[in-house]
Amino acid sequence: MPSARKSALTIRLSGRRILIGLGSLVSLGLVGAGMFAWLGIYNVAASVGHFYVVDRILRFGMENSVKARAPDIVPPDLTDPNLIRLGAAHYYAGCAYCHGSPDTPISPIAHSMLPPPPDLGGVERWKDQELFWLVRNGLKYTGMPAWPGPSRDEEVWAAVAFLRAMPGMNRAQYTRLALGDVEIAAQSGEEIATGEGPSDAVQACARCHGGGAKGPESDLVPVLHGQPADMMVQALRDYAAGRRPSGIMQAATSGLTEREMVQLATYYAGLTPLRPEGAPGETDSRVERLVAEGDAARNIPGCVQCHDNRALPLYPRLAGQSARYLEGRLTAWRAGLRGTSATDAIMAPIAGRLTPEEISRIAQHFARQPAAGESAVR
Amino acid sequence: MRSAAALPFCLALGGCSTVQSALSPAGEQAAQIAVLTWILLGVLGGVLLIVLGALWLAIRGSDNARRLLSADWAVSIGGIAFPAVVLTALLAGGLWLMRPATTDAALTIEVEGRQWWWRVGYVLDDGTRIEAANEIRIPVGQEVDFVLTSSDVIHSFWVPSLGGKLDMIPGRTNRLRLKAERPGIYRGQCAEYCGGPHALMAFEVVALPEADFAAWRQAAGQPVSTVRESGFDVFAAAGCGSCHAIAGTSANGRVGPDLSRVGERRMMAAATMPTSEENIARFIADGQRHKPGNLMPEFDVLTDEQTKTIASYLARLK
Ligand code: HEC
Ligand code: HEC
Ligand code: HEC
Ligand code: HEC
Ligand SMILES: [Cu+2]
Repeated sequence: MPSARKSALTIRLSGRRILIGLGSLVSLGLVGAGMFAWLGIYNVAASVGHFYVVDRILRFGMENSVKARAPDIVPPDLTDPNLIRLGAAHYYAGCAYCHGSPDTPISPIAHSMLPPPPDLGGVERWKDQELFWLVRNGLKYTGMPAWPGPSRDEEVWAAVAFLRAMPGMNRAQYTRLALGDVEIAAQSGEEIATGEGPSDAVQACARCHGGGAKGPESDLVPVLHGQPADMMVQALRDYAAGRRPSGIMQAATSGLTEREMVQLATYYAGLTPLRPEGAPGETDSRVERLVAEGDAARNIPGCVQCHDNRALPLYPRLAGQSARYLEGRLTAWRAGLRGTSATDAIMAPIAGRLTPEEISRIAQHFARQPAAGESAVR
Repeated sequence: MRSAAALPFCLALGGCSTVQSALSPAGEQAAQIAVLTWILLGVLGGVLLIVLGALWLAIRGSDNARRLLSADWAVSIGGIAFPAVVLTALLAGGLWLMRPATTDAALTIEVEGRQWWWRVGYVLDDGTRIEAANEIRIPVGQEVDFVLTSSDVIHSFWVPSLGGKLDMIPGRTNRLRLKAERPGIYRGQCAEYCGGPHALMAFEVVALPEADFAAWRQAAGQPVSTVRESGFDVFAAAGCGSCHAIAGTSANGRVGPDLSRVGERRMMAAATMPTSEENIARFIADGQRHKPGNLMPEFDVLTDEQTKTIASYLARLK
C-alpha cells in the first residue's frame, strides 16, 4: 500500500513539473519574441529579400492555400472577346503598373516590391478557378490587392479571361484591346486652350465606353451616348463613394473631381445615341405587356414609366442599351447584389421579382429599341 | 412599480375602446357574436363551478359524497349526458345565431388582402367598380356583402366592432356580411400573420348615413385629377404611376394602392398614420422606416422640392 501511494505521488509531482516546465518555455519564448521585435533584430527591408528556404516555404504555402480555397464553380466562356476586351481595359489601368504588360515592362519600382509582382505570362499553371480566387481575393502580405467590388464576380472573370489571352500577345494587339481605337475630337478650341476641355478625362473613359460616334468595344460595358447627364453624375458619385459596387468603375472614378464628373457626364449626354444592335425583331407580346404594364400579381411594375424619355433624368434609359449589360445587371440584382445608393433601393427589389427567362427577353427587347434624346421633365 | 400595476387596466381599457372592440358591437353581426360570447361565458362559468364543486367533494367530502361521485351513474350523467346536452344546445344556439343571410345585401364590396395593405373595389349596380384602398365606406343600416380574396398569402379580415373575422385565402373567395347600426369609424386589422409588417396592416370602415354615402358614391365615380393637374407631371416622371393608379390620368399601376382619392382617406399606409401632406412626403422619402419591409421602395432620390410637389398633389386628391 505505501509503495502505491508513493508512486502516485511521484506521478503527480512529475506531472506538475512538466506543466511548470512547459509554462516556463512558453513564457521564455514570448519574452524572446518580444525582445526580437523590440530590439529590431529582424530586418524588414524589402531590398534584402527572404532566405531561399523561407522563400520556397512561403511560395509552397501560398500555392497550397490558393488550391485549397479556389471555389468549385464553372467558369464562363473565357474565350469570349467581350470578356477579354473588358478585362484588357481594366488590366491597363488596374494591374499593368505592377505586373507590366505587352506594352510596358514591369516598372523598376514595382519590381522592388517583396515579393515582386511576377510577369503574368506564366499563369498557365493555375486553373481558371485558382486564378479567379487570386484576382478576387488578392494575397496577404504581398501587395497583391483584392478586387475592389467584392461581390462582382463577373468582373473578376473578365480579368481572368484577359490573363488567359495575354501570353503571346504583341504590343499592337494589346493596345488595340486595352485602349480601343477611339479618336475623340476636341470639344472646342477654347476649351482645350484653357485646359477646361474634358478630352483627357474622356480618353480615360473612352477606352471602355467609346466616344464620338463609336460605342463601347465590349458588350459588357454600358452605352453612355445620350443617357441623361443627371443619371451619369449620380452613378459616378455612387461608384466613387462605393455605394454602387463595381471594381472596374470604382477604379475608374477614384480621383475624379465633382467638376470632372459633371463635364464627362455632359459630354456623353450630348452624344447622339447609337443605333440599336440588331433589327427590331419579332414582337413578343408577353414581354411588351410586362414592360408596359408589369404584372401586379407578382408586384412587378411596368418598366417604361421609369425608363423611357418622359421619366426623371435621374433614371437610366434602357432603349438601345447593350442587351448583355442589361441582362448582367438584372441578373446580379436577382442574385442578391445590393448597393447602398438611393437608386439601388428602387430597382433592386423590382429586379429580384423577374425570372431569368424574363430578364433575358426584356434585355433583348430594350436593346432593339431605338434610343431617343433628352427627358421632357427636369 | 405603479406603472406596472396600471398595465392590466390599460390593456383592459384598450379592449373596451369603441374603435376596435368585439365587446362594444356596432352592428347586427357583432351584436350576435357578443350575445353568443356572453351566453358561452355564462354557461361555461356555471359548468366550471360544478366541476370545482365536484373536485372539492372528491378531496374533502365525506365518504358518502365520494361514494356517490364515483358511482357508475354519476359518471354517465355528469361525464357523458351533461356535456352532450350542454354542448349540443350551445352549438345549435350558435348555428342559429350565425345563420347565413337569406336576403340580398344592398351593396357588394370586394376586398383583396395584399402584403401589406387592402385593395377595395365597390361593385356598382351597373357593373362598374370604384377603386379604393385601405378605407371602406359603407351606408349605415344597410347589409353589405364583403367578397374576400387574397393575392399572396393568407390574411384575415376582422372588424371587431362590426362582426366576426374571416380568412382571406389565396385562390378562394369568402363572403362576409356586415351591417353598421350607428355612423362612426370602425377599425379593422389583419388577424392572420402574413409576414413582415403584418402588425401594420390595418384599415378603417367608415359608416356614413345613407344620404351621405349615396352622395359620396356619386362623387367617387368621377375622377378628381387630370394629367394637367399641377404636380402630376412629377408624379408620373418619378414612375409612381407604374405601381399606383389615379383615375382620369395615365397612371394605371396595380402593384400599390389606388390613389385616385388618397387625400380624402382619414389614414394612410394601411391605417398606420393620418393622411397629411407631411406624412405623404415622409412616406415617399422614408417609408421603410415608418413601415419596415413594406413593398414600396423609398424614393430618397427625389429632391425635397419634388417630394413636396408630389405630396401636395396627392393630398389634394379628394
Ligand atoms: C500593387 C501591385 C499589384 C497590383 C496593382 C496587382 N498585383 Fe497581382 N500581384 C502582386 C504581387 C506582389 C504578386 C506576387 C505575390 C506572390 O508572389 O506571392 C501578385 C500576384 C498575382 C498573381 C499570381 C501570380 C503567380 O503566378 O503567383 C496574379 C494572377 C495576379 N497577381 C493578378 C493580378 C491582376 C489581374 C491584377 C489587376 C486586377 C493585379 N494582379 C494587380 C502585385 C500587384
Ligand atoms: C475598364 C473599363 C471602364 C472604364 C475605363 C470606364 N468605365 Fe464606366 N463602366 C464600365 C463598366 C463595366 C460599367 C458597368 C458597371 C456596373 O455593372 O455597374 C460602367 C458603368 C458606367 C456608368 C453607369 C452607366 C449606367 O447605365 O448605369 C457610367 C455613368 C460610367 N461607367 C461612366 C464612366 C466614365 C465617366 C468613365 C471615365 C472616367 C468610365 N466610365 C470609365 C467600364 C469602364
Ligand atoms: C419606380 C421606377 C422604376 C421602375 C418601375 C423600374 N425601374 Fe429599372 N431602374 C430604376 C432606377 C432608379 C434605376 C437605377 C438603379 C441604379 O443603377 O442604381 C434602374 C435601373 C435599371 C437597370 C440598369 C440600367 C443601367 O443602365 O444600369 C435595368 C436593366 C432596369 N432598371 C430594368 C428595369 C425593368 C426590366 C423594369 C420593369 C420590370 C424596371 N427597371 C422598372 C427605376 C425603375
Ligand atoms: C414598386 C411599386 C411602387 C412604386 C414605384 C411606388 N409605390 Fe407607393 N406604394 C406601393 C405599395 C406596395 C404601397 C403600400 C404600402 C403599404 O402600406 O404596405 C404604396 C403606398 C403608397 C402610399 C400610401 C397609400 C395609402 O393608401 O395609404 C402613397 C401615398 C404612395 N405609395 C405614393 C407613392 C409615390 C408618390 C410614388 C412615386 C414617387 C410611389 N408611391 C411609387 C408601391 C409603389
Ligand atoms: Cu396579416
